[in-house]
Amino acid sequence: MKTKADFPNINDRQPEGLKDDGNPFRVLIIDDSMFVTKQINQILTSEGFEIVGSANNGESGVEKYKELYPNIDLVTMDITMPKMDGVECLEKIIEFDKDAKVIMISALGKQDLVKKSLLIGAKNYIVKPLDRNKVLERVVTTLKKQ
Amino acid sequence: MRVEYINPFVEAAFSILKEVLGDDLSRGELYLKATSQPILGVTAIVGLAGDVEGRVLIDLTEKTAMKIASAMNGEEMTTLNELAKATITELANMITAQAVTKLSELGFTFDLTPPTIITGEKMEITNYEVEALIVPIETSHGKLEINVALRERN
Repeated sequence: MKTKADFPNINDRQPEGLKDDGNPFRVLIIDDSMFVTKQINQILTSEGFEIVGSANNGESGVEKYKELYPNIDLVTMDITMPKMDGVECLEKIIEFDKDAKVIMISALGKQDLVKKSLLIGAKNYIVKPLDRNKVLERVVTTLKKQ
Repeated sequence: MRVEYINPFVEAAFSILKEVLGDDLSRGELYLKATSQPILGVTAIVGLAGDVEGRVLIDLTEKTAMKIASAMNGEEMTTLNELAKATITELANMITAQAVTKLSELGFTFDLTPPTIITGEKMEITNYEVEALIVPIETSHGKLEINVALRERN
């Protein structure tokens, strides 16, 4: 006969968005698409992450990062944006904080820009379309990287 | 217009729609239009300029656009609001970006414009110097047409 131990309580799992001290990881979303911003927001908040800000172009993305620093753990960064694109925005954020953890969000076909971003200092990238598992896996891996 | 230009867009549309809608899709018969043609009501247009030039439309009815946007957002949308338009824009973005990768592998280089969404009834699009190839794709949310008018730059 099966006992309670055969049915582990799935709710015992610690949400991925919480640090060891129980506080949430804080994320800034820089993306000009309302749809993508909402998608990332939904995926991350459902796992306990806190979205501390969002920006819809690179220029205000840099400003937001500086404003939030040091109370920020991660940035998700679109590549194609008006005013200042994601690569330049990344450059400026890394100039300001060389340890910044930035994940590039890219459509397929932008491999050159993704490579360039990784050389500049982006820690990871995600190719769209986004889905929950893909986003969480990359975000968690990136936060664990020192 | 060479058929090899449209195939990357159709393949990309299939793979992206399958991924975002988790859907069974079927491809309709390819057809060609030389002059004016009606467009369905919600149209994402992306321009290409480089070794090949022209435009690509992702064309659907307002009803289908709302159903696809609802499915992609996981919430019911009853009007074609800003979020619904941003969703269709993103869909066009993903399809064209993936298609471009395939066209680049064929040796073509060119730039893309960001997608623009046009909405309205009884609209037509006219191409004088290049005919358009159209491939309808049936999804469980309705029909979507990939409409490509491209030519090689001499």
